[in-house]
Amino acid sequence: MPHTEANLQRNPLREGLEIRSMPTPCTLVIFGATGDLTRRKLVPALYNLSVDGVLPSAISVVGVARREMSDETFRSGLHESATKFSRQPVRDSEWADFSSAICYHRAAFDDAQAFHSLARKLAELDVTRGTRGNRLFYLAVAPDQFGIILDNLRASGLTSGVNGGWARVIVEKPFGSDLASARRLNTLVEEAFAEADTYRIDHYLGKETAQNIMVLRFANALFESMWNAQHIEHVQITASEPLGVEGRAGYYDKAGALRDMVQNHLLQLLCLTAMEPPVGLDADSIRDEKVKVLRSLRPIVGDDVFRHVVRAQYAAGSIDGRCVAAYRREDKIPPTSETETFVALEAHIDNWRWAGVPFFVRVGKRLPKAATEIAIHFKSVPHVLFKAAGETVDDNVLVIRIQPDEGISLRMSAKMPGTSLRIEPVKMDFRYGTSFGKATPEAYERLLIDAMSGDATLFARRDEVEEAWKFVDSIHAAWESRSDDLAFYPAGSWGPDAADELARRSDVTWRRL
Amino acid sequence: METPFNGTGTEVEISRIDKELGLLWDASGDTKTRASLINLVIHSEDPASLPANTALIEEIAECHACRAILIQSNPHLPRSSARAWIGAHCRLVGKGERQVCSEQITFLLEGPCATSLPGIVFSHLDSDLPLCLWWQGKFQDPPDPKLWAWVDRLIFDSADWAHPLTQFSIVRQIASLAGGNRTVLCDLNWTRLHAWRTALASLFDHAAALPHLRGIRKLHIAAGSDAHTSAWLLVGWLADRLDWIRPHQTSSHVTEGTQRTTFIAPDGFPIACDLSPSDQPGLVGIALASANASFSLERSKPSAPFTATLHTPQIGETHLTLRSRCENLPETLATELGRAGRHPLYLRSLAHVS
Repeated sequence: MPHTEANLQRNPLREGLEIRSMPTPCTLVIFGATGDLTRRKLVPALYNLSVDGVLPSAISVVGVARREMSDETFRSGLHESATKFSRQPVRDSEWADFSSAICYHRAAFDDAQAFHSLARKLAELDVTRGTRGNRLFYLAVAPDQFGIILDNLRASGLTSGVNGGWARVIVEKPFGSDLASARRLNTLVEEAFAEADTYRIDHYLGKETAQNIMVLRFANALFESMWNAQHIEHVQITASEPLGVEGRAGYYDKAGALRDMVQNHLLQLLCLTAMEPPVGLDADSIRDEKVKVLRSLRPIVGDDVFRHVVRAQYAAGSIDGRCVAAYRREDKIPPTSETETFVALEAHIDNWRWAGVPFFVRVGKRLPKAATEIAIHFKSVPHVLFKAAGETVDDNVLVIRIQPDEGISLRMSAKMPGTSLRIEPVKMDFRYGTSFGKATPEAYERLLIDAMSGDATLFARRDEVEEAWKFVDSIHAAWESRSDDLAFYPAGSWGPDAADELARRSDVTWRRL
Repeated sequence: METPFNGTGTEVEISRIDKELGLLWDASGDTKTRASLINLVIHSEDPASLPANTALIEEIAECHACRAILIQSNPHLPRSSARAWIGAHCRLVGKGERQVCSEQITFLLEGPCATSLPGIVFSHLDSDLPLCLWWQGKFQDPPDPKLWAWVDRLIFDSADWAHPLTQFSIVRQIASLAGGNRTVLCDLNWTRLHAWRTALASLFDHAAALPHLRGIRKLHIAAGSDAHTSAWLLVGWLADRLDWIRPHQTSSHVTEGTQRTTFIAPDGFPIACDLSPSDQPGLVGIALASANASFSLERSKPSAPFTATLHTPQIGETHLTLRSRCENLPETLATELGRAGRHPLYLRSLAHVS
């Protein structure tokens, strides 16, 4: 049944019913169906969407992987994962309802015949489950598999919808390992799917607090009027985690913190923080503004890299009282590895709004706690009236906590009760968890439903990805020229002294999280 | 003194409510966090309302942190009496180490003082937070501007009204107070219709169905006796969306239990709207027909899935099962509280049928 977004817009009965686009019936095909991402994130997200009644009225989920297994075995494995990772309890009746939509298709990704039989299977599902020829392909596989999968999808006629339906592809990060590989990958995808049908996922953008940055900025006159170089001293963006490389040693040692986190997640957060108001809320208007920020980022090249960027690797130390090994002693990590597990950098955005405002970005593994946040440090008051009384006044800081404990806090100064004048910083705190009772949906829930609805706002566009790689590549190029700048920090500390020194040069101290 | 309801709460002097609430939080140490995004006031004259409303707040506070104020009033008693209780509804958050709580203040007002709601009750609102007032029962005419000027969102359930036309007229007066910009009318009966409206709209998402929407000539709704107002709101919504006009001279007439009202389509054709009674509760079915297509939705009971049938020359006859949301009272209230903004569509729909 042709059930297009244009119809939804013209249907006068739709006005006022939903403020977001509706997910249309479709088949979700997951390549890498036995992998970690599918088990930990995708299936729990789909289950939660099903329980919340948000999935389209007709849906089927086809898992594709190399292993031989029956539908039943596949479902049973997913049930176990959903029970472990779902944010809502998995109930038998709801699981039965949801899992009836799931089936398994065995295929080696280079087996053209298996893709033809996949095409037949999808056609059958269109009839039996009413999925209307709409297909959403999720590439939950390593990037080196993208090419062969995309080729075979194209060869088996699966890259366009059937009977007026649509075909879209969701591509997981890492989207390339540098600008050149990202361009190659983009070209590969482009040969199979139009840009409008390509959804490059960055799960940070699906997080509620990341989405709230725009609301905070553009729905509150109080903040936006001060959101510029006139009032903001500097910005700190931090993503810290106590975990080591866990099961990702092979990938991580090739990528490092800069490519793994800064190129995508942290630059996306920086863009949301720094972008100009978009002309509308459609995907391209927002992405246009983010690209402008990336283009305005002052490139860090040559010797400047060693002045404005610190890279480091964790040495042995302890986390929560537990001894942990040095990065070079981790399983499957070469003992001479020079991969950075920590990056701190000072970025500048050369535009009217942000001239002279440093953006300090830090990311690291084996840091004392898990926290991702954006801290906006406002300038001091022009004259401190209370200095005569020996009091100092802390600057105002607005903190947007992305995870965990999502929320926003504002630090300000207040007089302590008593007869003497004593000033202390106090915090106004908004927490999603306490203010809004209902649990925040997982990022993947939002992103999956957006892809089914054809809303690409929270996905990265080709030029965004490539601009971000340009910025990161120049740093990497300098790193490749020498290695004596690699610092070490004990696991469980907040990074190397060089990172503190980087901030100190701008009269800044990193926030204690 | 006997507690008039079984919910948790400690009786306090009305003048000490704020102090006692402060003591309540002080005593809980760091383990409990008070949370509040709205003032949710529920007013009822039903003597059995407090236990039911306390149970309702218990559920609502799970998803809408609020300062809840429950009022049971009986203005018809000769002697004034005002009593109050305080309590909290808490839920565990995170890994269970902390609790987030919504406060509840309960008032039992009797005699003439029951009419002094602004003085007695509204002084206990959490300042700066929006006031959502659910007025259970019927409104008095004329509305008291001093009372209603406080209200940001006025919640009511038109399904409960014996004389909906009179009551709709009063709520429209209330909404027009303060220049008509402050109070948002929130009819739970309209909120409940969301599932029907969504299902009906989805029938016309189909490219082969949409062209027939503007050509609808007949509308038939079957509804239980409890859903008469719901049915009319649904008619009003269709009339608004399809630009039907109800001629001033036309009146409804009843034939064998079916009430017929005629609207005029923009192309001048008359549209017969029939509302027939059903033995089942709630809205039972709706059927629309154009010259060569028909569309129907049926539901065996509230919250059951919809059975839809479409018949057009292009697709022939198609049957669909459409999911429906749970429509119990806590869910409906939670949905309404979760909606932001005004409800212009409701007001326009109402204008077509009242």
